[in-house]
Amino acid sequence: MKKLFLMTNLIIGLFAILLLSPSYAADPILIGVPTAETALEGRESIKAIEMAVEEINAKGGVKVGADKRLLKVTVSDLRDASAGVPVSEALLGLEKIITEKKVHAILVGPFRSESLLAGMDIIAKYKVPLLETIAMSPKFEEKIKEDPVKYKHCFRVCLNAPFLVNYLVESLGVLKQEFGFNKLYVMSQDVLWAKATSEGTAKVAAAKMGYETVGSETYPTGASDFSAGLMKAKMKEANVILPMFDMPQSGILLKQWKSQRIPTLLCGFISPMAGPGAWKIFEGKIGGLLNANFELGSAIAVEKYPPATKFYNDYAKKFGVPMEAGHGPAPSYDSVYILAEAIERAGSLDPDKIADEIKKTDRQGVIGRIKFNDGHQVIYGADPKETAAGCVSQWTEDGKRVIVFPKSIADGNIALPEWITPAKK
Amino acid sequence: MLEVALIYGFINSVILALTALGFSLTFGISGVSNFAYGAMYIFAGYASWLLLNKLAIPFFLAASIAVFLTALLGAAMYRFVLLRVRGLVISEVIATFGVGLIILELFRYLGFSGFEYTLPVFSDGSLLIGNTYVDYQRIWIVGVGLFLAVGLYLFIHHTKLGLAFRGIAQDEHTALSLGINSDRIAGISVAFGSGLAAVAAILILPRGTISVNDGYDVLINAMAVCIIGGLGSSVGVVLASFLIGYAQITTDILSGPHWKMIISLIAILLILVVKPSGLLGKQKELEERI
Repeated sequence: MKKLFLMTNLIIGLFAILLLSPSYAADPILIGVPTAETALEGRESIKAIEMAVEEINAKGGVKVGADKRLLKVTVSDLRDASAGVPVSEALLGLEKIITEKKVHAILVGPFRSESLLAGMDIIAKYKVPLLETIAMSPKFEEKIKEDPVKYKHCFRVCLNAPFLVNYLVESLGVLKQEFGFNKLYVMSQDVLWAKATSEGTAKVAAAKMGYETVGSETYPTGASDFSAGLMKAKMKEANVILPMFDMPQSGILLKQWKSQRIPTLLCGFISPMAGPGAWKIFEGKIGGLLNANFELGSAIAVEKYPPATKFYNDYAKKFGVPMEAGHGPAPSYDSVYILAEAIERAGSLDPDKIADEIKKTDRQGVIGRIKFNDGHQVIYGADPKETAAGCVSQWTEDGKRVIVFPKSIADGNIALPEWITPAKK
Repeated sequence: MLEVALIYGFINSVILALTALGFSLTFGISGVSNFAYGAMYIFAGYASWLLLNKLAIPFFLAASIAVFLTALLGAAMYRFVLLRVRGLVISEVIATFGVGLIILELFRYLGFSGFEYTLPVFSDGSLLIGNTYVDYQRIWIVGVGLFLAVGLYLFIHHTKLGLAFRGIAQDEHTALSLGINSDRIAGISVAFGSGLAAVAAILILPRGTISVNDGYDVLINAMAVCIIGGLGSSVGVVLASFLIGYAQITTDILSGPHWKMIISLIAILLILVVKPSGLLGKQKELEERI
């Protein structure tokens, strides 16, 4: 009888513990990560997501009302970074991950703006919160501003094209001020974000700084011979080439620029040049290039902003190789925390409530201070303590990167390669 | 700008000729289909990269092994795929194109995509020709390309094996009656052609990154050069390379890189309408059709 009493007490006690303690048995919160796995930015963004998820899960997960629930990631390859893959295929993948996997939120999202803009209607249809971290077209915000109710679940954490334009125009301003440069030659990839950014930069640089665009060239995705364009830039006596590319082949532009000794400075974005590995891969032929890293922490350590440096180092420690994508990983990492905090504040997984809470975000993250504007875009500026930030760095002839813009986090000044001369003495 | 067009047009032409030599040897001269040619080119690139970066084999040794492996792959494709459908032209085309697709898409599936897939240049630096800088790798391409074009001409006209290559294309039964083992010769031709694709890859790929999509472009360019030059004519291949090469560079300079990419396709269409046997082609029966 005594034994039976003891057993009953034990069972009741066990039930009590299970009921009173935070429940770990509850279903995990499923995060869908549909993106282009063939692209470096996509692959490293996925890793950054996994990193943040592991950190959050190690602390017990995310509090949803009274329960603590773990985060779980499911990845799907939209293939939209590859040449020739139609937008419809990416949309199919996006819809599939929502309907088949029943994800609670989507992070990273489509790679190409073309896919993102079309995909926003799928997000609106299924009401799944999206925190986009790669595609950059400003049309994303325009759509949200036009119909904020329909697109209330769509947010973007990464840099967008207009903010990138600001960074590049400011850098061009420095080049004009210090070296007297005023002739621009535009070389960009034939995709929405790259064309919008390069055209926007040329337009604003003309209006604000008096730059003259002496020529422009767009290259289909996959092109790998830039010699004719480089020669044209030289013939037209351009001072600065504005490159805008996110394809692997674009790295070769630097090799051709250096071997043809084109006396024109390169200042823009060439995705393969964003990480530390570029120096070895391109045989040290990249010295002099001014290249943007779209977000602090994305393949760049920032001495004057420790959270970015910590993320950059933690990533290398965890995966055994340094990060190489200058766009995507840092905002992807931050987006997990944005989502987790929004869920905790909402106290439920109701997509409308989560979206409302995401909008109220104000946190100090890897990319800087994160706040959304009325187009659901994280605001980027010049000081990571005030807003999120990206940076422009210059590759030196000894294989280092020196941040030259914005001034709040700059490590040094712009130096011209020995075969390029200033336009003013 | 004229100087640039002349110099870079010349280099581009030699690159096209180099790209097409192996395809011309197998398909044009021996009459054996190898539509996995672009895949062989890319296979050689990735094989060199793997040997160089994963096994730390010195570049020139890695490149030599890659050429050998690619030739071996060509021979294996002939032995296990082509031999079974030999003589049925459509089947040969479909089978080899299928093999090419498998090879290329397998690389894509395995994640061989990114800027890290690049091969080192043979020698660093640039040469100033007039007012135009040309990097040494392009000089290497021109040197080796011209050497191989002349070598191929001499090989197919003045060696027993080269004559056998031509013999099986001209009349296989007569070749057999003269003691030429046509199956064996065809196999050697596919292996040789694949090896030449590998040599082209080792020379050309250091200018850029190795990309699966390049495999399709290489096949289209090689086909264009062979069709326009005329199947079976090695001089025609060189002539067509220069026509397309200069047309591409001129188009790039005057209209931009987008239009450059369709030059080869337009040229194929034009030549098929005007002179189906190609500029110096030997297949006169095609002429009689129009």
